[in-house]
Amino acid sequence: MDLSRYAALFVTESREQLGACGQALLEWERRPTATEPVVTLFRAMHTFKGMAAAMGYANLTELAHRTETVLDLLRSDPSSGREIADLFFRIVDALEQGAGVAVDGGDPKLDFAPLLAELDEASVATAPTGSWAIPVAGAIPPVATPPVAASRLIQVVVAPGATMRGARAMLALRKAEAFGAVSALRPSLAALEQEEFDGRFSFQLAGSAAAAQILAAVRSAGDIVEASIDAAEAERVTEAAGRGRQIRIDLRRLDALMGHVGELVVARARLMELAETSPEPELRAVASRIARVTADLHGEVVQARMTPVWQVFDRFPRVVRDLARQLGKRVRFEVEGEETQLDRAILDDIGEPLIHLLRNAVDHGIELPAERARQGKPEEGQVRLSAASDRTTVLIRVSDDGRGVDRSKVLAEAVQAGLLPAEAGEVPDELLLRVLGRPGFTTAARLSDVSGRGMGMDAVISRLRGLGGVVEIETRMGQGTTFTLRLPMTLAIVRALVARVGDERYAIPLAGIAETVEFHPDRVAALEGREAFVLRERLIPTVRLRERLGVTGPRQPGRQPAVIMQVGERRVAVVVDALVGQQEIVVEPFDAPQGTLPVFSGATILGDGTPALIVDPAALV
Amino acid sequence: MSHTVLVCDDAIFMRTMISDILAQAGFEIIGEAETGREAVEKYRQLKPDLVTMDIVMPDMGGIEAVREICKGDPDAKVLMCSAMGQQALVVEAIQAGAKDFVVKPFQPSRVLEAVQRVIG
Repeated sequence: MDLSRYAALFVTESREQLGACGQALLEWERRPTATEPVVTLFRAMHTFKGMAAAMGYANLTELAHRTETVLDLLRSDPSSGREIADLFFRIVDALEQGAGVAVDGGDPKLDFAPLLAELDEASVATAPTGSWAIPVAGAIPPVATPPVAASRLIQVVVAPGATMRGARAMLALRKAEAFGAVSALRPSLAALEQEEFDGRFSFQLAGSAAAAQILAAVRSAGDIVEASIDAAEAERVTEAAGRGRQIRIDLRRLDALMGHVGELVVARARLMELAETSPEPELRAVASRIARVTADLHGEVVQARMTPVWQVFDRFPRVVRDLARQLGKRVRFEVEGEETQLDRAILDDIGEPLIHLLRNAVDHGIELPAERARQGKPEEGQVRLSAASDRTTVLIRVSDDGRGVDRSKVLAEAVQAGLLPAEAGEVPDELLLRVLGRPGFTTAARLSDVSGRGMGMDAVISRLRGLGGVVEIETRMGQGTTFTLRLPMTLAIVRALVARVGDERYAIPLAGIAETVEFHPDRVAALEGREAFVLRERLIPTVRLRERLGVTGPRQPGRQPAVIMQVGERRVAVVVDALVGQQEIVVEPFDAPQGTLPVFSGATILGDGTPALIVDPAALV
Repeated sequence: MSHTVLVCDDAIFMRTMISDILAQAGFEIIGEAETGREAVEKYRQLKPDLVTMDIVMPDMGGIEAVREICKGDPDAKVLMCSAMGQQALVVEAIQAGAKDFVVKPFQPSRVLEAVQRVIG
């Protein structure tokens, strides 16, 4: 049998299993006496061993097997393994590395002997009684199945992108009711009706129907991404059900598919333009049919690309833990909303910026235990990472309860950079990020080798803006800092308003537009030294795109439209020469060439094949 | 044998669109109704395998119609067709016995998915 065909699958799946091992180890560290983390670790290690054996990777199999053996001993007394948690971490790393090497070049020549020796030593030390023997294969006692209770907890997650998630939840509830009485609904019925929940809900279900049947019924309500019953029993059921429903696709295939769909969407726009002016009714009919199918296809591809954020978040606990240890700090790291879904393209790109923000939080935010104690804070600092979604955007927050940004340093930098007058007493919130995001700026007294490496805050911010995201910061001296990233749920294709200035056309994403109005040059006033447009008795600062972009050339006489752009509470009136129309555009993020005005977030090709720059609302408002 | 469908909506446009989507997928449209009352009558008469039901209709709304239909046939397979922002009404319809729902604007694929779930 040619095993190489399975190599890619082995790599992905073994990474999953080893990822689960890492998670379980962290959990074990947090709760040293709990049994479940050890059981989970044992199970994942066992699965990995099986896969490695099937691929014929002898030394990986052996290391996994010996680890499994020690874990088996620890199941009866998890706390006795506290001392060797580090060893397990190293083993998981070694296995992951080994798996990669094995797939690339056949049998890995990695030497696991030192690790094996340490394992031997550890297994003697951790033996619960003094006399112990390595159990023979197959002698592993089965995990007892819990007796079927009178009422079981059912947990369900409705797909984040689904419409009317509350109604969908109701439907799932009704399906479950067919098996027994429902009680202890969380959140309440009223909250579900108002869709005041994040898609997760749970309830108790009476009766003793088979778990698989209940879950299948709940899932049949549609748009259900997760449904589980209790713990041990449910895990097996969902695993089995999931396997039947899914296939693995090479990510490059999905990217290519998205690329083609993007081109199709652009071509469709052009086709519709042509069809509208065509006298052929049949052509118009075919064009509109193609338009519909394209929209459906686009929707499906986007859906297929949606990925839960845990796929990226999963490695963070380890990053935070290692960094905290290295710096001699105590940090509790909490993650929330791991099931939130994001376009994979966005997810891939936020990993690095998020790591930077997390490092920053641990390195610059959280104080050393002694300093925290002096300030009356708990010695253990807290870093939180959370994700949540509403209809079209995903919010990701990184917060810490550390020392906060030192505003006096920021002020000095802002004055020096000419962003604020020398007599300014403090830095307004909206300027904070601009200063922090200046290339080379750092509030750290010294450039540590921790946060200092990798990307800078300026790069973090521009990377996220390139994805159509908005970054906000909230910080209080002595209390901590929170970064909020607002990201589009999906990238790639957005609806945009196309506006003309001089001979060029520019695309403005609809998401950033509040309305379009006619600009009256006689209805302007001054607002804090800027020109402002009076609209319905309110002053809105103007940006004359012509001047901002340095377009000379004569303007066609006539009325000028203003696009009212809005980000959060802030608005700005962008004056353009003319509005061309709306269309869907495929966003191509770009690294702005030197000297480009920081007004654009990307580029696109319009329906007729001409390129256009995409205006970044966040940069103008 | 193909499944039979009764399409209920007060707008001809919506009826045509739903009928087209379902007919193209091989369903047989055996009747249309413009009001809730007509929907209840035609359901008794035609015994369709599936009903698509608008929520807001003159002369007995969709929710009332679902309740009436399910009173006579608890296994009736009714799919609600709702507009955005009608979540509370959809929830009410589900409590009245509707088996699933789709939200306008319709994506044919979403409609057919919902229909498949209802027909089972």
